[in-house]
Amino acid sequence: MDEAFEIEAQALAQVLEELDYFQILKIGQNASPSEIKAAYYRESRAYHPDRFSTHKKLEVKETIGRIYKRINEAYVCLRDDVKRAKYLADVIGPERQKKLRFVEASEQELKKEKEQEVGFTPQGRKFYMAGLADMAAQKFAAAERNFKMALTYEPNNPNFKAKRDEAGKLIKNDMSIR
Amino acid sequence: MADPGDIAIGIDLGTSYSCVSILENGKTTVIPNEWGERTHASVVSFLEDGTVLVGNSAKRNIITNADNTVYSAKRLIGRFYFSDEVKKAQAVMPYKIIEGENNSVRIQIRENVYSLPEISALVLKEMKAIVENYLGHEVKKAVITVPAYFNDNQRQATKDAGRIAGLDVLRILNEPTAAALAYGFGKDITQRIAVYDLGGGTFDISVLEIGKDVFEVLSTAGDTYLGGDDFDDRIMTWLAEGFLKQHGIDLRLNKYCLQMLKEASERAKIDVGRDGVAKINVEGICQDPNGKVMDLSASLSEAEFNKMVMDLVQRTFKVCDEALQSAKMTAQDLDAVILVGGPTRLPIIRTSVKHYFGKDVMAGIDPDEVVAMGAAIQASSLLDAKGDHYLLDVTPLTLRVGTVGGYTDKILDKNTPIPIERSKSYTTNRDGQEKVKIKVYQGESNKATECEMLGEFEFSGFRIGYRGEVRIEVTFEIDTNGIVNVTAADVETGQKTSCTIRLSSGLTEDMIQSAQAKNAKTKLARGEAAA
Repeated sequence: MDEAFEIEAQALAQVLEELDYFQILKIGQNASPSEIKAAYYRESRAYHPDRFSTHKKLEVKETIGRIYKRINEAYVCLRDDVKRAKYLADVIGPERQKKLRFVEASEQELKKEKEQEVGFTPQGRKFYMAGLADMAAQKFAAAERNFKMALTYEPNNPNFKAKRDEAGKLIKNDMSIR
Repeated sequence: MADPGDIAIGIDLGTSYSCVSILENGKTTVIPNEWGERTHASVVSFLEDGTVLVGNSAKRNIITNADNTVYSAKRLIGRFYFSDEVKKAQAVMPYKIIEGENNSVRIQIRENVYSLPEISALVLKEMKAIVENYLGHEVKKAVITVPAYFNDNQRQATKDAGRIAGLDVLRILNEPTAAALAYGFGKDITQRIAVYDLGGGTFDISVLEIGKDVFEVLSTAGDTYLGGDDFDDRIMTWLAEGFLKQHGIDLRLNKYCLQMLKEASERAKIDVGRDGVAKINVEGICQDPNGKVMDLSASLSEAEFNKMVMDLVQRTFKVCDEALQSAKMTAQDLDAVILVGGPTRLPIIRTSVKHYFGKDVMAGIDPDEVVAMGAAIQASSLLDAKGDHYLLDVTPLTLRVGTVGGYTDKILDKNTPIPIERSKSYTTNRDGQEKVKIKVYQGESNKATECEMLGEFEFSGFRIGYRGEVRIEVTFEIDTNGIVNVTAADVETGQKTSCTIRLSSGLTEDMIQSAQAKNAKTKLARGEAAA
C-alpha cells in the first residue's frame, strides 16, 4: 500500500465521527440507488480489509477496519428507502451532531409505538376500533364520537387525536345526501 | 510480497465429504490423495495402534470399528449438549457422545475424550497432509468454508479446529459465497445469481450480485438441520419398516444393523438418482432369534423415492422464498442458478430447482468441488493482498442482546454486510456495582429461549458509582469471518474495561494449545484406495 493512501486513510479516520453517511460514501444527499451502490463498490475497492490482509502495521489495519465498518453502516442505512428518509431528516435537522449514526427504534420502542396506534387501554382500544369501522363506512359523525370517547380513556394518545381531527374535517366536507 | 513457497489452501470441510484445493498459476486445482480420490469422507477412525485413519478408507470402519469411528461431526460442532441435534445424534451414532464442561459436547473414544473441534482438526490434518504430499513441502495457511447459516458458536469452533490442526486460518468463508467466487472468478460478468447449496447436513441459499470484481451477497438463508443425510434417513425408515413388517425384526434397535442400513440407504439414494432405480441388497444384516442369518433386499424406484423426500425438497424452497424476499427480488430477476453439494445431483432436486427458479441450472460446475475451489481463490487472494476481487458478505442471523424477562433486543439485523459494529450504552443497576453481565444471542425471535445463546460476557474495571451514574458503552462487532466480538468501555473516561470473560461451551486458549500438541503428535494412518 502506498504512503499517500495511508495518510489519506489516517486523515479520514480522524474526522470519521463528524461525517454523515452521505459524506462517508462521498455522494450527494439526492444520490440515486444505483449511485449509492456504485459508491459502495468504489469505497469497498479502496477500503476493504482484505486488501490489507498482509499489511504489517496493526494500527493501519485497525484504522482501515474502523473506516470500512462505517462504510458498511452507511450502505445499510442508505440502501433502504425508509431508513434513508428518516436519516436524511435527522442529519439536516437541528440534532445533526447527535444523529450522524442511524439508530433504529428497538423492538420495545416499536411495540410502544404500535400500542399508541391502537391504544393501550381496553376501552380506548374498543372505541378507537369502532371509530375506524365508522370511518370505513363513511359515518364520520359517529366516528368522531367514538374517537372522542376513546380519548376520554387515553387523553394523550396522538393517534386518537389525529383521527378525531380527521373525522371532524370530513364531517365539514360531507355534502352527501341520504 | 509472499515468497513463492508460501501457499494458502482452500478447504471445504463438509458434513459427509471434504475437499481441498489450491490456486496454481491462476487456476484452481483440486488436490487428490495418493489414490487419486478428490473428495474424502469426513470420517475419523481411531485405530488400536493409536494412529488415526481419515477419509474414504475410514468410512468402512463405521461398521467394522463402529465405537471408535466418528462421522458427521459437523452436525455437532458448536452445539450445546442439551440441543436437539445432539440428542438425535446420541440415538443414532455408534460412537459415544458425552457432556463436557459448560454444556459442551465431547466424544469418548476408548479412554480418551475429544472435543468436536479436535475431531474436525483431524480431518483438516488429513487435508493438509494431502496437499503437503502433493507439493512436497509444508503448508500452514488456509481458508476453511462453513455453511452460510452457521452461527457464531459453529464458526468459532471451526476456526478452533483449524488452529488445532496447526493451520493459520486466514478466513472462515461461507460455502455459497465460495461457490459464487469459483463461478465468477476471472469471468468479467455482471449477473445476479442464486447459489442453492444442499450438503450432507445443511442447506444454504445465497443470492448474490456479481460485478466485474465485486461479489456482493444480497441475502442468505438456510437450515442447519436439513441435508442429504435426511434423504438417507427416509430410505432407511422405509427399509426398516418394510423389514419389520416382513420379519418382525426392527433393524434400528441394533447400532450395528443400523449402520449397515444407513450405508445401504446412502448407496440407494445415489443409485436411484443416477439409474432411476436402486437394487438394495445387504447380506447378513442381522440374525433372527434362532440365529439364522438374514439378508435385506429391496428395490426402490425413482417415483417412490421422490414421494418419500418431496416434503424435504419443498422445505428448501421455503428457505429460498425467504432469501429472495430479503434480497427484494423474485426468481425472475436472477440470471443464473448454481447447484452445490452432492445431493443436488439428484434429478428430483434438479427438476424442482429448475421449476422453482424458472431457468436451467448452470452446467459445468462440479457440485462436490466448487466450494473448495472458491476457498482456494480466496486463500490466494488473502495471501498476497492483490485486491483483484472483493467479497462483500453478510451475517446470516440477527444479533441480539438479552433483556429483562427472557426477552432479547435486536442489535444487528440479519443480512447486514460485514464487518460491522454497533454500540449501545447501558448503565449500572445498583449502587457500587462492580460488574456487568451481557448475554448475547443470535436468532430471529425476540424470546431468548428461541435463539441460540452465543455467550455471557462479564465486564469489570469501570468506575464504581451510584446506580445509573456509570454509563458503559458496549460495542458489538461482527468481523469478516462472521464471528462476533464484544467489548465495553466506560463512556466518561473512555477507558476500555478489562477482563472480558466469555462463558460458552467453546474452548479456552489453554485447551486449544494442549489440543494442538495432541493433534501434532497424532499420526495419520495411510489406508488404501476405497473399492
